[in-house]
Amino acid sequence: MNRSALTPERALWWGPALVLTLILVIAPLLFSDFYLSQVLTKALWLGIAAASLIFLAAYVGMVSLGQVALYGIAGFTMANLVEADGGSPIAWNPWLATLVGILAAVGAGLFFGAIASRSYGIYFLMITLAIAVLTYYFFGQVTQFSGFGGVNSVERPAIVSNPVTDPVNLFYIALLTSAAVYAFVRYLARTPFGLALQGVRDDPSRMRALGYNVPLLRMLAFGLGALIAAFAGIISVWWNTRISPGSIDLTRTIDVLVIAVIGGLFRLEGAWVGAFAFAALDNWTRGLDVVGQRFNTVIGVIFLVIVLLSPGGLMGIWQSITDFLGRRLAGKPPARPSAGARASDSPQPS
Amino acid sequence: MSVSSEGGRARFWALLAVLVLVFAATVAACGGDDEGDGEEAAPTDTGAESDGEATGEAIKIGVFANNEGAFAPFEGQTWGGAMLPLINRGATPVSGNSVDGVEGATIAGHPIEIVYGGSDSTPDKAVEEARRLVEQEQVDILVGPLSGSEGIAVAEYSKEQPGVTFVNGISGAQDTTLKVQSPNFFRFHNDGTQWTAGLGNYAYNELGWRNVVTIGDDYDFPYSQIAGFVAEFCSIGGNVTERLWPPLGEEDYSSYITQIPEDVDGFFMGVGGTGTVAFVKQYGQLRGNLADKIMGGVFMTDPVILEELGDQVVGVVTAGMTSGDSQEPAYLEYTSQIESAYPDLAGTGSSVFFYGYYTAMEAIAQALEQVEGDLSDDHAAFREALAGLELEAPLGPIRLDENRQAIMDNFLQQIVADETGDGVPDVKTLETIPEVDQTFAGAFSPDTPSPDRENPACEEGTPPPWTDQGGGR
Repeated sequence: MNRSALTPERALWWGPALVLTLILVIAPLLFSDFYLSQVLTKALWLGIAAASLIFLAAYVGMVSLGQVALYGIAGFTMANLVEADGGSPIAWNPWLATLVGILAAVGAGLFFGAIASRSYGIYFLMITLAIAVLTYYFFGQVTQFSGFGGVNSVERPAIVSNPVTDPVNLFYIALLTSAAVYAFVRYLARTPFGLALQGVRDDPSRMRALGYNVPLLRMLAFGLGALIAAFAGIISVWWNTRISPGSIDLTRTIDVLVIAVIGGLFRLEGAWVGAFAFAALDNWTRGLDVVGQRFNTVIGVIFLVIVLLSPGGLMGIWQSITDFLGRRLAGKPPARPSAGARASDSPQPS
Repeated sequence: MSVSSEGGRARFWALLAVLVLVFAATVAACGGDDEGDGEEAAPTDTGAESDGEATGEAIKIGVFANNEGAFAPFEGQTWGGAMLPLINRGATPVSGNSVDGVEGATIAGHPIEIVYGGSDSTPDKAVEEARRLVEQEQVDILVGPLSGSEGIAVAEYSKEQPGVTFVNGISGAQDTTLKVQSPNFFRFHNDGTQWTAGLGNYAYNELGWRNVVTIGDDYDFPYSQIAGFVAEFCSIGGNVTERLWPPLGEEDYSSYITQIPEDVDGFFMGVGGTGTVAFVKQYGQLRGNLADKIMGGVFMTDPVILEELGDQVVGVVTAGMTSGDSQEPAYLEYTSQIESAYPDLAGTGSSVFFYGYYTAMEAIAQALEQVEGDLSDDHAAFREALAGLELEAPLGPIRLDENRQAIMDNFLQQIVADETGDGVPDVKTLETIPEVDQTFAGAFSPDTPSPDRENPACEEGTPPPWTDQGGGR
């Protein structure tokens, strides 16, 4: 198939994506400060966190519950190294602290990856869950680094500004980081390393027979996932201006998993789509008079409906629609009505 | 083939429906906050005007407690407390569930719109929810939060929003007012430290305890509570040998209970929320004879917790800002008001959750009445009224210090066997310590280290005036 041909399916796929991107670029002109910060920026960094999970799940076949812990390691490390209320008394330059925070998360990711790299499926999931719980209690118990009260009033680089009174800068930082993460993962998938990862996902034994060091590849992939998660962690601390063990507890771990699943666990774009749906729904249902304190039930039901209708999440739904319309426009019968994902680089799991 | 095509079409439409739903949700979320506050308030005006007497501009009050996490079981009490002052001013409850709010509320001729919020005891969520209520719902006044660490974070956030007045719900960390000192953040109840006034004295002089272990959840509110006990008990010569800190939300305390040495004279318990029940039950199973060893924090006399624990805690001495056995007319009137407004909450008037949110809303109502609901001067007159308020609360007067923190009476109480016949142990007030202030008679100041796992240190010092050594009796 000619890559550059503009088929109706392609137009339907990329057209809305282009419009959405454009809307995001001029978002500060369109939305209130509150919405920009509390829904869009939040969705962007949650999306980066979910992207680290989807990268692992879609390209390496590793569904991890440890991504929130890893972003917590980045966030806590950074928060401890700058001037803040709580945590260690060190007060470095915020950019240096950010760099060290990201490196710490990558280091932790490689270390945990080495431990977990020989496990698959449910066992891998359990090990990453253990990592999540371990990290939560570590920062809760070690008061030198945090304690349950957390690290508050974290100093930010000057460019981040005050996320409450002036949220535009942080929004663009989150947007650019999201774009960079997306481009990086899409690029990576086409490199020999990325192809090897996908080989590991599809058949580890065959890859081993071909001479690949499968545990090493999986460990490196986990480290890369930690790198992506670290960006989310850093931005989340800038956004919250604080981090506490409550920021990385099991509820948040499940939130990120839910985001990835409703977005579409096997499409990278799904991370941000899911995160936006999550942030907007959370915000919207809380404000509904008829719903009142039952907003969690409403959110739960909506998510359930999405997942029941489309195992591919929101991206799966969009996929079915574009497939259907595309075939209609091309005059072909709808030959593939199921909500399956595209076959090129993101197949459904067997 | 045709069958699968039909199935595909049906599926397509179902998917489209979901997409439209999600899109609608998104649009609604976008639209809600873009417009000015004038338009936002419009529908609520019409709702309240049917009342007939409300003529002034509507005042939006956001209320939030915890609807998730360890304190979620107390949401009904907090909302009951926040709604009661409005009901006493003519509003009607929407339902028997206090969380559903009230209709037709007016204060000084101004319709009051209550906006619902809820967090989960983490500071992140509390600030997120405060921001939603302030920046999106555009409330004029915000009541909350519930939990200690939340309070510090929200008080910090209040500095970014000088146009909104914040009144604390029941979060009881010391730092919230003593350290943060936000000019638009008020707290009309005592903090966790003030709630322990009288306990150290009772332990040392009445029970003869010398060596004590403390145990409390590992966050800011228990830090404050245990700080108060340590400051008082150590100042008169007592010794705190160990401080144990299980995490908030812990349900299995057995490993902590076994860490308490057998030979200590007793221990002070600052476990809060739902943890109190689990802790007491497990202690009973592991060590037995609880009542003569334990001194409880403020939650021990919470009506809901008392009912759960029953006779196991008879004899335990505790302290707090409410005295459930009060026979003062004002208190009896208050409890009967609760009973008629929310029958399900009858008897919970002495819960600190109920009382804290009640004093918050009552103070707001009285201050608004003083300024006739006029907030047009950026709340200046309203805040002045709040700061100068002499609140005649059901359990005694409340006034504020210069950090806008309450100074009020504290009650030393003992849990005694049931005499009222409701099957729940009763509470007997042993002593009233008048006008406990936040400095705890000078032990704490903005310059002393924040209460935490190690602070304050256990040192002999100037005994507070309510202790025997300080000349209290």
